[in-house]
This record gives sequence, C-alpha cells and structure tokens, in this order.
Amino acid sequence: MDCLHELEMRNVYARTLVELANESPDIYVLEADLSKASGTNPTFANEHPDRFINCGVAEADMICIAAGMAVEGKIPFCASFTPFASRRVYDQITISVAYANTNVKIVGTAPGITAGPNGGTHMCFQDLAIMRALPNITILSPCDCYELSECVRWMARHDGPVYMQLIRMKQPQVFDASYEFYPAKAVRLHSGRDVTLLSTGYMTSFAVRAAEELAGEGTNVDLLHSPCVKPFDTGSLIESAEKTGGVVTVENQSIIGGLGGAACETLSENLPVPVKRLGIPDRFGEVATEGFLFEKHGFGLEHIKQACREMAERRSFAADPIAVSEG
Amino acid sequence: MQQTFIRADFDRLAGEFRYIITDMICRAGSGHLGGALSLVEIVISLYWRIMNVDPENPSWEDRDRMVLSKGHGGPVLYVALAYRGFFPKELLCTLNCDGTNLPSHVDRTRTPGIDMTAGSLGQGLSCACGMALATKKDGKDHKIYCIIGDGECNEGQIWEAAMFAGHNKLGNLIAVCDYNRLQIDGFTDDVLTLEPFADKWKAFGWEVIEIDGHDWDEIYTAINRAKEVKDRPVMVIAHTVKARHCSLVENKPESHNIKVDDRETHNRFLAALSCTDYCLPY
Repeated sequence: MDCLHELEMRNVYARTLVELANESPDIYVLEADLSKASGTNPTFANEHPDRFINCGVAEADMICIAAGMAVEGKIPFCASFTPFASRRVYDQITISVAYANTNVKIVGTAPGITAGPNGGTHMCFQDLAIMRALPNITILSPCDCYELSECVRWMARHDGPVYMQLIRMKQPQVFDASYEFYPAKAVRLHSGRDVTLLSTGYMTSFAVRAAEELAGEGTNVDLLHSPCVKPFDTGSLIESAEKTGGVVTVENQSIIGGLGGAACETLSENLPVPVKRLGIPDRFGEVATEGFLFEKHGFGLEHIKQACREMAERRSFAADPIAVSEG
Repeated sequence: MQQTFIRADFDRLAGEFRYIITDMICRAGSGHLGGALSLVEIVISLYWRIMNVDPENPSWEDRDRMVLSKGHGGPVLYVALAYRGFFPKELLCTLNCDGTNLPSHVDRTRTPGIDMTAGSLGQGLSCACGMALATKKDGKDHKIYCIIGDGECNEGQIWEAAMFAGHNKLGNLIAVCDYNRLQIDGFTDDVLTLEPFADKWKAFGWEVIEIDGHDWDEIYTAINRAKEVKDRPVMVIAHTVKARHCSLVENKPESHNIKVDDRETHNRFLAALSCTDYCLPY
C-alpha cells in the first residue's frame, strides 16, 4: 500500500481495517446501511463477513451496540454520514461511549461541504464543535490517505473513545508512506514568520497550496496542520503565534466552536493576538458545488491567501509604531 | 452461587431490601423509590437463584451480565451487590453523597458489579445487544440480562434494539420489562400506551413470557425457561406494582421520585412499609 494517494480515502479506511482485522480478532466494523458509502462494503465485508455488522438505518442503536461490544473487549469501528454519526447520536455518544468510557471508534463520513449533492440536511458543520465539548473523547480529522491510514491504526491501538472525520474521495497527497501520527501534535507543513495558518482535515491541502503560492509573493506562512482537534496542540500554536503575531484558521466546519474556536480559546488565555477564522459562518449548508460554497462562505484557496496577506500586513503595521500613529 | 430457595427466607430478604432501599433514598433526600421497589423480587431471584457471578472477581469473563437499562433503579441493584459481597454493606448509605460510588443512575466506571452505565433511557437494551452479539461471536455460554422500564419503551431506540436482537437471533439475551404501568407523568396507558405490548415483542421476533413480577416461582420458572430458548431473544414481561409494599405511594405516579425534606417524612416512608422489623447494615 505504498501508493495510497491514488486511492479514494474510504478505500484506504476499509483496507486499513482489513489489515488490522487480519492482525486482531477484536476488530469489528459496524454500519448503519451506509457501508458502501463508508467503503467497508465490499472491501471489509468480503474479507471479514463475520465481523461486519450492519445495524440497519438505526444509528443510535449502532453506537450503543458498539458500546456493549467494547465492554466485552471488542474494538468496534462505527461509520455513517457525519450528521448521523455525530449530532443525531450525540446523547448515545455522550452516555454510552464517553461517560461510560467504552472503547468505541466513531467515523463521520463526508464531512462538511464534501456532502455535496446531499445538501443542507447532510452538511454537518458542527461535529468538531459538539465533539470538542464532550470530555473523554479524542477527535481526529486526517487530511490525506497516509495520515488516514495512520490515524485508523492509532485508533485501534488507543484504548478509549475516538471520533474521526473521514473524507470519502481521493485527496491530494500531503504526506508519504513515512508519515507517523502523534496524537495531540500539530504538523508544520510550511515554515514562515509572517502569519500563522492553522488548518485541519479537508482544508489542509488548500492551506498547503495557499502557503506555497504566498511564498512566491513574499508572504511567508507558518502552516500548522492539526489532525488531532482534541486534545489540541496548544504549545505549537502558541509558539508559532509568538513568532508571527497573527493567526488565520481554516476548516471545513462552522467557525463556531471547532478548530478556530480551539485556537481562539488557546490564544486568548495564553497569547492574545489577532485571529481570523475561516470556515462556514453561522449558516446551514445547501446543495451546491464546492466552488459556490467556498465563494459564498469565504473559505476557498483565494480567501485563505487573502486572509493571510491581511493578517501579515496587520502585523507589520502594528509592529511599526509610526505607521500606527499615522494610521 | 445459587442459593436453595426457602420461601420465608426470601420473603424476609425482600422486606429487608425494601427497608434499606427506602432508607437509602430517604437519607439522600430524594430518589427513585417506586421503580426500585417494583424490582425487588426480580433482582433477588436473578442474583440469588439464577445469575452466575463472582463477587470476588466482578469482571470474571464467564459471568452472566446485567444491564440495568432503567438506570434509575440503581438502589435495588446496589443492595443486591452489597448483600452478595461485591462491596461492603456499609457503603449503601453513601447513595448520592458527594464523591459517591453509588450514584442514582448506574455507572460502570464507579461501582463493582455494574456491567454497563445507564441513565439516558433507551440505550441499555442496545448495549445489551452489543454484549450479547460479542458473547455469541466468542462462542461463550453466559447470558446477558437486561432490565428495562415500561415508560422506557416510549423511546424509539428500544424498538431499534428489539429489531436488531430479533434479526440477529440473540438467544443469549434475556430482557425483563418492569411493567408496573406507571411512568413519571402518570399511567402508561394514559401517557403513551404500550399495548398490545406482548404482541409487539413477538412481532419483532422475541419469545415472550408474561409473569407476576413479585411471585418467586413465576420469576424463577420464566427465566429458566428463557435460558432454554437459544434461537431468539426472550422478553419477560413482569407485571409489577410500583413502590410495592410502601403504602404511602404504592401504585402512585408520585412514587417515581420521592422528595424527603426532613426526618419526619423519612420516618413516615419507613413506617409505610409492610414490614419494618429490620436493622440497617450501616
């Protein structure tokens, strides 16, 4: 599996689970009638039919069945579309998984605007926010196939509840086969002193492009990718913000409570610097193309670059007392 | 350990349970009395005559499991666990105290012998399905017992679990419904009727046995019969009386969660029990 980036993310998810199941009899896959969308059917279903459990369109039941299986020593991976794997089953995750401390892995597929033609009902913009508000659960949002594979392996090793966003389609390559995942650790994908750019999940490949293109213009971005939204790597963000003096965040989520929220909480308590949060403002989704949604909500490639330029300018402006007084 | 049944001894134990449960809840100042008292004979039968558990090793792999899906029934389970030796009886008076390991609703992370956390109604039966499925996959013989409330059956998730258990032929799952016909806001038939209750479970692929949930012989016979059913889950519909043997609130909606503000009220609740000739173990 050296050329993972040529595969759809969901295929990598399923293939990684097959490999884990080959190694451990405790790995189980639970689905709620969306197994083809998650990629586990047929890949996992054919390889390990005895450990492939379809719960039907009953997500609440699925989460609690997983909790019961986990109590018995199994390691269940449950998947559904993001809204149905998070907000629809928030109480089940809260009580039977997080509060009961059961070793359940929950996977929300097609996060944010990647729900595409399914539109507003399926565009969940708040799963990172609501999961962050829950004690005792780790939250992951891998950006490419290599990171996804490592995250799934880590989830299987880690004894405790985990929620992960899973982009289903093929993703631009960010890492390679040498990538190692460390929980609660951000990854610096570009070094710079002018502005900090913080991203996660689907938006990281856009952030990488923004950083590269801005470097050509002379704006040097310190790009931190945070695959682990909780626990959040506060140290790396503070260290970067000390250097740059301004932070832009971008995520495939509402700007309320997710990665941008984590950044603001961290910085306001430790190092108050200007922050610009990009993502979906306080709105619902709709059926539309990605280009339309990026434009409408202001968090596409050009918006990221513009926000970084403005933050870098603001910082150089603020650093020059004469310019400030003349302004 | 399955104890020889001597009716007089079991009757006395049930009375002692009711006395202690009532005292625990009164000391705490409030609590779910009715639904704990309605379960006394069922819980004693399970822990003294039916279930295979080891108080010395609460997480023994081959033990029978218990999921109290109506998690607010915690006090009756705590008395059973303490009397079976899972923890000292002296701890029973710590119900709901600051820092307690005996919270109002059962918590697997705090109490020895509690196999699953419950408190948000409707979830426990699904959890029990997961436990039963995992047990079946492992080829083990022990049973998963799950006690649900009748009001709890208003929750849609109960019927998701019912469908899953029936579809997967979870023959190692034995559920008991505490059908006392009362929920917080009134009688189940007035709030949201469950009838035809037995037919619903049968339609979902369950074996259904109806019993008087206070009759030692009927409970024992029904659950032993349930243990012999291997090809489908079993629902034991136990017809019970909420707040059984506490004349102050027996079969009254207000028994669901009583409030006890002073010693006088505490004494009135104890005096209202049909038998009070017991010593408290704490």
